[in-house]
Formats: sequence, C-alpha cells, structure tokens
Amino acid sequence: MGNASINHRELLEDLLLTRRFEEKVLEVYQDRGIRELPHSSIGQEAVGVGACYPLEDDDILVPSLRTRAVMLLRAPLDEIVAGMYGTRSGPSNGRTTEHHMGSSEYGILGTTGMIGAHLNPAAGAALGNKVLDNDRVTVAFFGDGASQRSEFHSALNFATVQELPVIFVIENNHWTEASPIEKLVAVDDLADLANHGLPTKVIDGQDVEEVVDATATAAQRARDGDGPTLLEAKTYRYRPHAETMPEHRDEATLEEWRDRDPIELYRSRLLEEDFVTEDEIEEIDRRLQTRIDEAFEAAETDELPDEETMYHVYKDTEIDHWKGVVR
Amino acid sequence: MSQQVDVQAEQTEQTIRESLNQALYEELERDDSVILYGEDVAEYGGLYKISEGLYEEFGDDRVFDTPLAETTLGGSAVGAALAGARPIVEIMYADFLPIAGDHLINYAAKMYFNYGDETSVPMVVRSMYGTGDGHGLHHGQSPEAWFMNVPGLKIVMPSTPKDYKGLLKSAIRDDDPVLFLENKMRYGESGPVPEEEYTIPLCETDIKRRGDDATVVAIGGMVYEALEAAERLSDRGVECEVVDPRTVTPLDTDPILESVEKTNILVTAQEAPTFGGFGSEVAAQVIDDAFFYLDAPVKRVGAPFTPIPFAESLEEAYVPTAEDIETAVIDAIET
Repeated sequence: MGNASINHRELLEDLLLTRRFEEKVLEVYQDRGIRELPHSSIGQEAVGVGACYPLEDDDILVPSLRTRAVMLLRAPLDEIVAGMYGTRSGPSNGRTTEHHMGSSEYGILGTTGMIGAHLNPAAGAALGNKVLDNDRVTVAFFGDGASQRSEFHSALNFATVQELPVIFVIENNHWTEASPIEKLVAVDDLADLANHGLPTKVIDGQDVEEVVDATATAAQRARDGDGPTLLEAKTYRYRPHAETMPEHRDEATLEEWRDRDPIELYRSRLLEEDFVTEDEIEEIDRRLQTRIDEAFEAAETDELPDEETMYHVYKDTEIDHWKGVVR
Repeated sequence: MSQQVDVQAEQTEQTIRESLNQALYEELERDDSVILYGEDVAEYGGLYKISEGLYEEFGDDRVFDTPLAETTLGGSAVGAALAGARPIVEIMYADFLPIAGDHLINYAAKMYFNYGDETSVPMVVRSMYGTGDGHGLHHGQSPEAWFMNVPGLKIVMPSTPKDYKGLLKSAIRDDDPVLFLENKMRYGESGPVPEEEYTIPLCETDIKRRGDDATVVAIGGMVYEALEAAERLSDRGVECEVVDPRTVTPLDTDPILESVEKTNILVTAQEAPTFGGFGSEVAAQVIDDAFFYLDAPVKRVGAPFTPIPFAESLEEAYVPTAEDIETAVIDAIET
C-alpha cells in the first residue's frame, strides 16, 4: 500500500476508538458488570486496526474473540454493546454473544467458543468466494493458542494447496490464557511452525502502519490468485486472558510493552510529523467518548429478548422446539 | 389413470450407487455454486465410486480431492456455505465424523442461530455407514445417535434408490446443514427411479408398506430388513406397516403416530446399538403422544451395546436382521 495512501488521522481514530471502547468496557464491568465476560484487547489494538485498514468493505473478516477492532470497524456500535449485554438490539437479538457474532451484512464470519476452530471455516469462506468468482479476500485472526492446534496446520495446508485468497494473522500476545508461550511452543517465531509452502512474515504488531503494509501486500497477493499468506504480529495484552482471572504476569515485562504502546507510538509519531495537532486528537477523543457512552447507555436501557427469539434453529423446516420434531 | 401409467413407464431400474451419482451430476449442472470435494472423490471417483465421472465432467474447480483432514472438510464446508456456496463434502466413513464433530456440532449447527440476518449453512456432509463387510470396529458404525441431540443439524438416512436421489437433491438445495448418511452395504440395491427430474422433501416420513397389525419404524438399511420381515410375517397372517422416516432429525412423527394408532403395536429397527438410539426416541415420542393406543410394550431392534466385532461369527451375531424384526413383532403381538 505504501504510506502515501494512508489517511493517518483516520487510522489514529480507529486505534483510539478501539482503545476507548475497551477502557469503557473495563470501567463498566468493574463498576456494575456486563453479561459477556470481557476478554480485553487493550495493548494489541494495532493488529486488528492495521489489518482491517487496507481491505475492501466486502472482504470477509474472521476475528478471534479478542479482535475487538474488527467488530468496531465493521458493525454499528449500538449493536456491539447490546451484543455484550444480551439485549434485543444485539446482533442476533440476544441469541449469541458479541464475541462470536456473525453477519453477512457486515462481512464478519461467525465463530465459536473453540479456539482456532474458525481457521478451516476461514479457508472455506475463501474457497466459497473463489467458487463464486468474486474478488473478496478473507482475513482470519487468531491468538498464539490457536497455533498449537491441529486446525492451524490443516487450514494452512488446505489454503495453500488450493491457492485460496485468505490471510492468516496470528496475534501473538505471548500468553495462551495463563501460560507463557515459551512453555508451550519450542520456536521463537510462531511463523516457523508453518512450513506449508506459503509466504510467512513476522511483523511488529505495535506498529500499526507496518501491519497495514503487510496486510495490503498479502491482500494483493490473494486477489491476484496467488494464494494465502501467514502474518505473525508480535504484540502483548495488558489485561489477563479474561477479567475473572487474576493477573500473575511479570510487571517489568508488562512495562516494557507499555513503553511501546501502539496508540501512543502512533499518536506521538503523527504529532511529531505534524499530521495532526493535540487539539485535533482531543476533539477526536471527545467525539469517540460521546459515541461510546451513548451506546452503553442505550444498551443499559434496552429490553431483554422475548422467549420466541431463541426458536430460530432451522431455516427451512418448522419444528416444535420442545419436542424437537417437525411441526 | 393414464397419468399413473405414464409415471410407471418413466421409471427405470437403478442402483443406489447410480441414483446418487445422477443426483450429484444434476445438482452440479443445475447450480454453479455447488461443489463436491473430499478424499479421493475426484480422479478416483470416490472410494465407493459414487462420484465417478463428475470430475471429468465439471473440472477440478467444482470437484476436487482434498488432504486427509476431516477438520478441513467439515470446517471449510461451513465457511464456504456461509460465504454463499453450496458445498458437498464426502467423509469416507461415518466413523470419521467425530474428527469433524466440532465443526458439525459447534459450528454448522449453530450459525443460523448465531447470525442475526438469516444467514444459514447450506452444506451437505455425505458419509458412509453399514455393517456386515468385516470392516471391524471403525469402518461401519451408524452415527445418527451421536448427532441426533444437536439442534440445528439435519440427519438424512434414506433406504431406496428413488429416495436416495430425491433426498440428496433436496439436501443440496436445503438451507440448513445436512448430514446425509449412506449405507455402504446397500449401494448395489436396485429399484425404480423416475426418469424425469424430481426431488423428495426432507423431514417427511414415508410409508413403505401398508399393514394393520403392527408398525415397524425402520431407518436406513434396516428398511430392507423390515420389508423382508413383513413378507415373512404376511405368510403367517400378520400384516406389518413399514414406516421409513428417511429424515432422522427433525423427525416427522405424525405418520408414525397415525400408524401406531391404527396397529397398536410398535417395533423400531436400527443398525446402531439399541441403547440411547433412534428407536428409543421414536418410542418416547409414541409414549408421549399415543401411549393409550399401544397394546403391548414397544420393542426396539438394534445392535448390542458393544463395538462392531471383527470375527465373522461375532459380526453375524451383532448385526440386526429381518429375523430379529420378525421375532420382535411376534413377541409384541403375543404379549
């Protein structure tokens, strides 16, 4: 893509949206609780933000439950927050969690609670798009944990041998739930686990423009019919795996990563290069905060779904949901 | 009347293998979004030759071989279906379905529920079951009970060549994920198949033989055993109604209940172990809604609660047969 075509202020705004949103989630969760258990992406926002940036609106994104940026950049804010509350304005009216929501309208492939189970479906979405002969690229995001599952290898192998238009993005935040990655995997770079005949690249997940560039190159390769790419973005999460788990990680390492905070890095660079002023950033921040606050207020007063909402199991057949038989 | 004669004239005798091949051919030709893939389905034509000639006809964009990875078959089919294609994947033996189980149970079955915009998962997983060929513990199990308890999946287990073809075509056109189970011991069975294009709706129970004395609800390959049992019983003056649900889930129970209300006797027949199986669910549904019509306890015919044994003598003892159904019907009537 090259930096020339990046709208720096827009990219900064995407980063700030994700950070402010996640901060709000923590604040509300700690204050009065949220039905969906937060799995915060604070610290690793630049991966999702940067990877989404060079894509087309109809490209298909397959997020991990922590790739909050994908949801925020594709779906309406009100719907996302309602999805966390399980209220009727949520993405499936409260049937599912925001973490795994799927929407053809927003180009988000639905996922499940099984880590890495979405990698073969992501390859499959790319296969579907190839069969339908459209120009769409599919981008799958997953953590270091998923790289330990066989899904990782079978999906990469299939995508490569079929030359599918898909990009696999490992968000390596160095912790698989509560265990450090070096205790679970014997290589330094997870990209080295993949020797399937596809190009791999290790990138700095804290540098949003590096993520933009790498994704743009991979997307072009996919659109040219040359097949998949694996990107490993090195990053770090500031919070535990989930908000119910106590923090037990080394404070010094956490501080080292905080010194390279992805939002702060980009913010100071843009200020230094006069792409944006402090006043403009404050203005962006205020605007985002208002939008976010309003979305949470809306969700907190939204109604819970009626029982009928869950009777939505088969598209083509009417059943008696209590007997489990054809009506 | 003349129309009926015409319909008869337009039927040809076909094996299940031929009717399935034709169903796949017709649907690949009808809809460009239909694709067929799996282990050895393309150049080799499928282990049981169900997809023979399709790769040559439609090319490797539409019919292709895949790596030996059931997670890729199940998972990629979900993704391709969500993206708007209509994938048909062949998982060589139903015994291998648990490897793709996560994608069937947690993914395919749940995405229509998970999505808020009516997006569904129009995929078909074809897989083979059937006991009696000495393939042992891991190449012949009937898997329907493993997946019956999963809301969102449809499970189809046809019996005759005509049903196989009409139901496979419907399964491919259906917007929900379908597990289409083929009895590998019956691929060579032949029967009349309409020459003109037709489909048979999913989730519709069929009556394969009329009778007033006992209802036998049989699934998949056991329909043939039930029909054989019915012929033998007819010689003894007992007329069985053979009911073939064809779709295991969601089950069309009304014709079963109506039959039991008429005959007052219920026998179920399946190849899988009796405990926790399809017949148990049929029995429970009948007890719920037609208990007072029953003149005798329900008899369930199925396999014992053991793995499929390898030795010929053990396998013979294991597989349920027409004789077992005959005995069950007589037992019920004499109760």
